[in-house]
Amino acid sequence: MNLKNRKRELVKEFSPMLENWSLGSKIWIGFLIAIILVGIYAFILQFVKGHIVTGMRDNVVWGVYIINFIFFVGISYSGAFISGILHFFKTPWKNSVSRIVELITVLSLLIGPVFILLCIGRLDRLHYLFLYPRIQSPITWDIIAIMTDLVGCFIYLYLTFIPDFAILRDNSDLKIANWRKKLYKTLAINYQDTPSQRERLHKITRTMSAMIIAMAIVAYTVLAWIFSLTLQPGWNSTIFAPYFIIAGLYSGVGFIIICMYLIRKYFKLEKYIRKIHFIAAGIILLVMSLLFGYFTFSEYFPKWFSHKTNDGELLKTLFSSYFWQFIFANYIGVLVPIVILFFKKFRTIKSITFAAIIAVLGLWLNRYLIVIPTLETPYMPIQDSRIEFIHYSATWVEWSLTFTGIAAFCLLFTLLIKFVPIIPMSGIIDYERENSKKKQPSVTE
Amino acid sequence: MKSYTYNYSFFTYLLVALLCFNLSMAQESDVTNYKMRFAFKTVKKADNTRLLEVKFIGQHKKDRKDLVPIFEAEINFYNILNDEEILLGTSKTSEEGIAQLILPENQKYLFDEDGAINLTARFNGSETIDEQEESLTIKDIQITLDLKEIDSVKTVFAKVFTIDSLGNENPVDEAEMIFFVQGMLSKLKIQEGEISDGEFEFEFPTDIPGDADGDVTIIASIEDSDEFGNAVQQQTIKWGSHVIEPVTKVKNTLWSEAAPLWMYIVLTFLLVGVWANYVYTITNLFKIKKEGKKIQT
Repeated sequence: MNLKNRKRELVKEFSPMLENWSLGSKIWIGFLIAIILVGIYAFILQFVKGHIVTGMRDNVVWGVYIINFIFFVGISYSGAFISGILHFFKTPWKNSVSRIVELITVLSLLIGPVFILLCIGRLDRLHYLFLYPRIQSPITWDIIAIMTDLVGCFIYLYLTFIPDFAILRDNSDLKIANWRKKLYKTLAINYQDTPSQRERLHKITRTMSAMIIAMAIVAYTVLAWIFSLTLQPGWNSTIFAPYFIIAGLYSGVGFIIICMYLIRKYFKLEKYIRKIHFIAAGIILLVMSLLFGYFTFSEYFPKWFSHKTNDGELLKTLFSSYFWQFIFANYIGVLVPIVILFFKKFRTIKSITFAAIIAVLGLWLNRYLIVIPTLETPYMPIQDSRIEFIHYSATWVEWSLTFTGIAAFCLLFTLLIKFVPIIPMSGIIDYERENSKKKQPSVTE
Repeated sequence: MKSYTYNYSFFTYLLVALLCFNLSMAQESDVTNYKMRFAFKTVKKADNTRLLEVKFIGQHKKDRKDLVPIFEAEINFYNILNDEEILLGTSKTSEEGIAQLILPENQKYLFDEDGAINLTARFNGSETIDEQEESLTIKDIQITLDLKEIDSVKTVFAKVFTIDSLGNENPVDEAEMIFFVQGMLSKLKIQEGEISDGEFEFEFPTDIPGDADGDVTIIASIEDSDEFGNAVQQQTIKWGSHVIEPVTKVKNTLWSEAAPLWMYIVLTFLLVGVWANYVYTITNLFKIKKEGKKIQT
């Protein structure tokens, strides 16, 4: 195998993704920027007028912002977990999905924490969190965990990008701006793909992948503890941390499948992202949906069985005011993916993606039901009788900022896949190199 | 394929609808489902002013726990004698459904032949809520507190009397009186009994701690009396059994300034472990860079 030629071939194959901005992609970016601009206006309004422009009040102090935070961070941690597993165990089909997963991991971890900032009433006091931290507080643990994880994810993402930066640097046929060529050169840190460089890079990537798996578990556990270490009915649960991890993995796998489907369709990558990848991801989604269903049942059943007054009140609220949301999140969101993914004949690319959409939306609603009804049924009776103090309802400002988060994620994702190929070229070369080694007769034969 | 696309679109719209709109069932707020509760009470306060208070709440006829305060309802307070009505004042109900009016110490009242005052609270009604009215006939009561140490025994003297239209003091008899000490969150009952010939006295307990300065606030109270309504009087005195010393040193706990030691140890180990790995990774990146530079040169 002539490495140089193969690298050139691959760059040629992926160059349309990196070089051209089609009219469609320009309209898409314009649309995303428009959503972001509306979100910026909503943020200015919230900053100037305060939280009165949101649906959050004295009792329901956390609204859709915290749900988006848990959702995005959950996707990020599950992405880190899955990416770590793919690299650590050298999964054969990792090339098709690993970059998608890595980008999802980092971008969600960038977007997610922004939502927690939107929950803070006095942003001008944000620095107090760092100046006067209380080591006993789960909030402090979470800040430390998120920052450490973010740095780790960035390093990890960069490690996986280096060989591709080197390939792009060495290819003069690529019709891109000079600044991009210079940037590839800088970011490639003189990587020449020598055996010793490759071995060193593989070693640190593998160590980081193990670290990323552990970090994802610790960080998401800490996030779950923010809720479960309080005495609130509905939150004070011993299984909350593993429940969060499973829920995060469930939504994360679903999100990856959706991204795989969109990227495959838009970039016409049927050669690289094949049905077998969807089926493999679908089976993981099936396992996660079964585990998630089991944990959900284990979470709610003791509450119903124990007949504790406050738990009873919460369940009453869930099965009355939030009946349809509860049914969708915990029945449809679990059973529909199970039915689709359990039977072989239903496992088509579209149906697996549909199951993933149901799972992701169900999970978002599940988070909504964990946060809002619980805050609406506190131990102490709600003193203020105004309807907006009793029942939370998100305002346009909150929805706008929610969609801004999603738009920012999509925009960054679109820009990044214009910067590096969505399928790692170095991964393909490594795979082919391994295969050719296996085909060569060994000395002992 | 067509039906699949149809299902797909249908479910997508359903999901979007579910996400965008909070489907919380609207509370049944039809006023005919509610029975009006109009409670009127009066309290003679420690500064001899009089509080008139109405609590106006709608209670669901089926779900009795469903209470909806009536907000912004205009309540008129009157002093009535036979056909003569004197408007004492007007107040609107708050978000909690409470309307209050404070009458000054020197307020003039109309007294009946028994020396009683008729107080009436009235809501004139609205398009949806009927007129509400409640009256109280009470005597204008006053409580005075005298706190003395007699032979080193801390003694509480209370004098209770009514004032008639001529300004004469008439001692109160056979009314229940309760004494409290004010705590941080609630009142602690220390004595109760019946007033005899307008007087009540008892020995103050010796085991009541005071605040940081050793002060205790003693409250004398008559509650929900048909004849006198509510009346309170209070006085603060340095009778606390001991001064509570502020805790100067707290061990490392969840609620102290410094966290438990094990938390620092665990957190340090975790962070050092993770960040050391980051440093190790970055060091290796520099080595890769250095090696590449050598090859280039």
